[in-house]
Amino acid sequence: VTIAVREAFVLPAAFLTVLLLGSVRIAQSTTLMPPSAFALVLGLLLVRIAVQSGTLAPDRLLAESRSALANVNGAVVLLALWLAAAQTLAVLIPESGLPRIVFGVFLLILLINTAAAAPDRIRLLRSLAVTFGTLFLLKFVVLRELSAPGTSGLKRVLQTLLEGLTLGALLQPVSHAAASYLALLTLVLFLVALFLLPARTIERTGVLVKQRIDTSLERR
Amino acid sequence: VDERTDQLTRLGGLAFTVAYAAFIGWLFARQPQTVAQITGGLAATIGAYRVDDQAFADGLRFFRADQFVEARMAFARADPAIRDANTQFYIAYSYYRQGWGRLYHDDALYAEGLSAIDRALILAPDGRLVVDDDNLQIRTGEELKAELEAGRRRDSSDFNPMRVFRERK
Repeated sequence: VTIAVREAFVLPAAFLTVLLLGSVRIAQSTTLMPPSAFALVLGLLLVRIAVQSGTLAPDRLLAESRSALANVNGAVVLLALWLAAAQTLAVLIPESGLPRIVFGVFLLILLINTAAAAPDRIRLLRSLAVTFGTLFLLKFVVLRELSAPGTSGLKRVLQTLLEGLTLGALLQPVSHAAASYLALLTLVLFLVALFLLPARTIERTGVLVKQRIDTSLERR
Repeated sequence: VDERTDQLTRLGGLAFTVAYAAFIGWLFARQPQTVAQITGGLAATIGAYRVDDQAFADGLRFFRADQFVEARMAFARADPAIRDANTQFYIAYSYYRQGWGRLYHDDALYAEGLSAIDRALILAPDGRLVVDDDNLQIRTGEELKAELEAGRRRDSSDFNPMRVFRERK
């Protein structure tokens, strides 16, 4: 029953909440932005890495041995995970200009590199926490501070210089202070939900290997 | 018993997830700006949304006294979720009357009026909006929209000196 509660309630609710919180953009008016096509592609890559690292064992969500209803629950979790992963990455990508392109390309390369490095579950979760944390600081602290309207004369001068040097490609539309807190909550919730996914355990891997050996022996 | 509990839990979870996902989809589609718009929109989907009659009556009183800003505040109080076509029609009409001038019309107010009448036409059943009010010369959504659009258009009739004799509707 505990597993059923986790698969049917906790994980879908957590991932859908990540999708909802991550979509909120607070500026002059509040808008809800679904993940872009590019973010969905990045999200798919992240799901693939989660499977590869054992953070997610898909056979514990979708399998012949499970009931039809349990498989539907599993499929819902997978779909919600994909959307939440896409939305989480979308939260970290700046809204416009050069930083948007740079962050997007960086995330794409980073995810491909992570897939090539094939980390285990713990290393992947650590790596994601560090990456998300760094990108969060860059977007919501450094870029936000650079783009915020100057309060002192010196800052205004520096801002004008920076805008002139970068032809306005660096500065971002100023977001509401609450946007940072929402983004942080989204990231933490996503990482917690990722941690709660049914993982590939050593015991489970051993059972699968034994099944494979048994099957191949039977064939001989 | 455990098997049955497990199935019920999974079924309940599935229903909850579908409802939650539908709610998020609805939010993406409607883009509500306030909590009142969210609650009002949800109430409207099950037919439970009601306009505040007292606030609407206040708005109508202000509107007839040519106190358009006050009228819009009262209408906004009457229809906080922006779900009532009739109220939105009066809001659009208030922008029309306030922006109307013998020599020129206020483009900004007319633009607000157009947004309001567009909202009203979307909310009206089958897009047909007829207001039963003898005090108004314009009683349909289409007429009001045409009037607002005509006011924003630049053409040769703008230079017709006879326009000073036109009356506000």
